[in-house]
Amino acid sequence: MIRKNYLVLILALCLGLILTGCPKKMVPVDEASSKKSDDAARFEAEKAAKEQAEREAREKEQTRIKEEEARRAQEKEFEKSLVAKKQPGIEGEVLESKLLKDVSFDFDKYDIRTQDINILKEDAALLMKYSNVKVQIEGHCDERGTGEYNLALGERRANSVKKYLVSIGVPADRLSTISYGKEMPVDPGHHEEAWTKNRRAHFVILSK
Amino acid sequence: MKRLFSLFLFTFLIFSSAAEARVYLDVNAPTLVQIPIVLPSWKAVDKTPPSLPAKVYEILENDLAFSGFFRVINFNSLPAHLQKKEGIPSTLYLQEWMPANGEILLAGEITLESEGLNLKLKFHLFDLIEQKHLVGKQYEGPVQNLRTIVHRMADEVILQLTGERGVNTTKIAYVSLQSGNKEISVSDIDGANIKQVTRNQSINVSPAWTPDGKKIAFTSYLKRNPDLYLTDLDGKNLTRFLSFPGLNTSPSWSPDGKQIAVMLGKDGKSEIYLVDAGGGNPRRLTHGHGNEASPTWSPDGKWIAFVSDRSGSPQIYVMSAEGSEVRRITFEGNYNTQPSWSPKGDRIAFNGRVGGRYTIFTIQPDGAGLQRLTSAAGDNENPAWSPDGRYIAFSSTRTGSPKIFITHANGFAPRPLTQGKGGELSPAWSRRFDQ
Repeated sequence: MIRKNYLVLILALCLGLILTGCPKKMVPVDEASSKKSDDAARFEAEKAAKEQAEREAREKEQTRIKEEEARRAQEKEFEKSLVAKKQPGIEGEVLESKLLKDVSFDFDKYDIRTQDINILKEDAALLMKYSNVKVQIEGHCDERGTGEYNLALGERRANSVKKYLVSIGVPADRLSTISYGKEMPVDPGHHEEAWTKNRRAHFVILSK
Repeated sequence: MKRLFSLFLFTFLIFSSAAEARVYLDVNAPTLVQIPIVLPSWKAVDKTPPSLPAKVYEILENDLAFSGFFRVINFNSLPAHLQKKEGIPSTLYLQEWMPANGEILLAGEITLESEGLNLKLKFHLFDLIEQKHLVGKQYEGPVQNLRTIVHRMADEVILQLTGERGVNTTKIAYVSLQSGNKEISVSDIDGANIKQVTRNQSINVSPAWTPDGKKIAFTSYLKRNPDLYLTDLDGKNLTRFLSFPGLNTSPSWSPDGKQIAVMLGKDGKSEIYLVDAGGGNPRRLTHGHGNEASPTWSPDGKWIAFVSDRSGSPQIYVMSAEGSEVRRITFEGNYNTQPSWSPKGDRIAFNGRVGGRYTIFTIQPDGAGLQRLTSAAGDNENPAWSPDGRYIAFSSTRTGSPKIFITHANGFAPRPLTQGKGGELSPAWSRRFDQ
């Protein structure tokens, strides 16, 4: 009899368990449905985030490409600006670029004029960007005065420019100098306008 | 050149020597009075073609006139009966030359010998005032050396009458623009025998003679650097003599030939250096803040004059050959460059700017006695002394395109070197080629 009672009790307990467990058992059903919506939201969020990231990456990539293109364009512009120059009787072929700008000097002077500092800063920036480029700085004079003293003056002008470029970070081993004195005028005229043009430091590219 | 001169066979036969050497002209006098010298026609002896004495006459007359010491009385301007007289007169008949109105008579004859290969020239000098024979000399040499033989003869005449040999055997090297480039050329000082030395289409500047007169030094951009080269006068045997980075230019040989003062740019600005005759062992002489240029030795080998702009403008300085005792010698004007020390030692020629124009000056090495040699016409630059110190060559734009002129050291009687159209710069005067 006792055994039978036990069984009843166990059954009752089991039932109780079932009965009490029933609401609990209902919850998972409810939970399942709410979990389903949570997952969706998360999925959405994740998706959004992923899309955002992708978009950002895309934008980043685009920016990078744009920058690259700009750099290439600039490089292309630099490449495009290069003009070969070969002079009879002077060994080797050099390149000239209008992006490397000349600086001017006052008569019988070799110091860099304050108004030319920015030109040299731009020249330096370009040279820093193209770290393989080796340039020669040419010192030139106007036709007035004697040949030999003008050779000395041209030497000093070229070296003034070199010194300044080195002082703002251009490695000295990429800059050489040469004085042409009054032997290579850019304007053959015999007047102030020509003289002003001829008193210059000019860049030629020896290698890139 | 060596071959040319070793072919000479000079035989000096002195027919009579003047009782005592009398100098007819004081060339150092402040004003130059030219000696009126009569030149009768030269005589062609035996079968010598008449074109030869005519040629000799032309060269001789030119040399004497260019020397500036003489007023040449050409036979064409003589009275008719004297025009026809050729050759050397007898002292007995000197009286008949009085109407020529000269003080000196120079007469001569030429003989073509050895089947037309050899020349024999003879000249005699007479004093028409005192009616006496002064001197006579005879020269022999191969026919192709005619010009040089006559130049030597003219130099002897100048020695006899002025106390110092002439410079008619010398040459002038210069930069010529004729080809469109700056090339080095050489000319006799009468403008004959113009020869182009370089033909490299580069920029060739600042020619200078080596002391033996066998080579010309010049700066060229052949290797994209202003290097100093040496070449024979015919353009052969080109060697790169100095090739430091930067300037290698303006060589000046010491009087003993053992050292060369030169402008070098290897330290970042132009400095005066000494190098050995072989080009080695560079020693820096200048240490200032300025640009240093154009060294020139004093003939005693103790001093070097040069240009420096250490004071703010280019001026002439003198220093010892060791680089010490630096002193400034020019104070007039603010652009004085290109000094050239006279072989006599007493003066330094340079060019200075006056009123925007460049003019030739001379000054004593102590800075005293400034003398202006050229007028206001054109730009006058690059003075170079003759080896006897009696003339200065320089380039001038007085007639348009730059030409080389030769003037007496006092600025008297400038005349163009060549009959060319111009484009001549930077003269350098050689030694005499008479030995």
